[in-house]
Amino acid sequence: MSSKTTPDGTTLGLLALIVTQAACSAFFLYDAVADIIADGMAAFNDVLLHVEMVATLSMILAVILEGRFLVRLLRRNAHAERGLSIASGALHDLMEQYFHEWGLTPSEADVATFAIKGLDIAEIAEVRGTAEGTVKTHLNAIYRKSGTSGRGALLGLLVDDLLAQPLIERKEPPKDMPKASGLA
Amino acid sequence: MKNVKVWDPLVRIFHWSLVICFISNALITDPESQLHRQIGYVVAGLVAFRIIWGFIGSRHARFHDFPPSISGSVGQLSDMATGRKRIHVGHTPLGALMIYNLIVTLIGIAITGYMMTTLRFWGIEWVKELHEICVTWAEFSVVAHIAAVIWESRRTGVNLPKAMVTGSKTLPTEV
Repeated sequence: MSSKTTPDGTTLGLLALIVTQAACSAFFLYDAVADIIADGMAAFNDVLLHVEMVATLSMILAVILEGRFLVRLLRRNAHAERGLSIASGALHDLMEQYFHEWGLTPSEADVATFAIKGLDIAEIAEVRGTAEGTVKTHLNAIYRKSGTSGRGALLGLLVDDLLAQPLIERKEPPKDMPKASGLA
Repeated sequence: MKNVKVWDPLVRIFHWSLVICFISNALITDPESQLHRQIGYVVAGLVAFRIIWGFIGSRHARFHDFPPSISGSVGQLSDMATGRKRIHVGHTPLGALMIYNLIVTLIGIAITGYMMTTLRFWGIEWVKELHEICVTWAEFSVVAHIAAVIWESRRTGVNLPKAMVTGSKTLPTEV
């Protein structure tokens, strides 16, 4: 639960890639802008400038996509429990999907994960370094956005979905997810 | 809310003197001028002072208080990704990396800048190139530094720019 654990190779590799590409694209961007400032519109007659700009823009796009992937990876690692069984992996995917569907903020998704895992308000507040009042506010937002009445209903929603399909075929997420009615 | 004394006066004077010198030489002074050189020497002096102060200074000014830490940095990124608030009284792990980056870059700028004033290296292209690359990198880093300070201030609710002026961080009491 603590973020003090040693980061795994994937995270570090991805981080190194992002930093390198960000630094390179910053230089290429600077170079292209300097060319345009120096030569004005005439700079665009140079084919090389166009190639450079396409390369730079696609690298910036790659950095953004990698950044988003890194955020997902960090969240997943922050929530991972020892021994990722099929069940916990499937539950995690399902949770992420619902959180996205409901439009939870990163903080709310974090609180929701802990709530589903059974931590009480004081424990969640401690793990997240926030006040208990803040956690209560997050929980209210979670119940409102998910249309559930409380922690039990929230958990029921997930368990229902999890039991409705075989665990092995968890590659295909449920296409028609109910728009959060207060079932369970 | 409680106030915690974090930055000693010398750290703050160093920081803002460096800001003034860097802006002057990066944006205002003529690179060929005597003034540009003199400000360059001041920057070199400031960095040298900061390195010494990193060993003998007050608690949060020492390098020992903010060692470069990959796991700490990934932890801070995880906090950002999950919206958690772990309050760092001194430098945050990512902030620490930025400090080391800026110190190294400024040393690079000072050395290549000085080389251009010597007979041996004056007019040699790669020295000038390296000087400019370091400056560009420093400018990029400064923009990233400012953006990160604003971002982290908003995320954690601790006004970091104010702390670098008054020397005290106002931390939420429940932490």
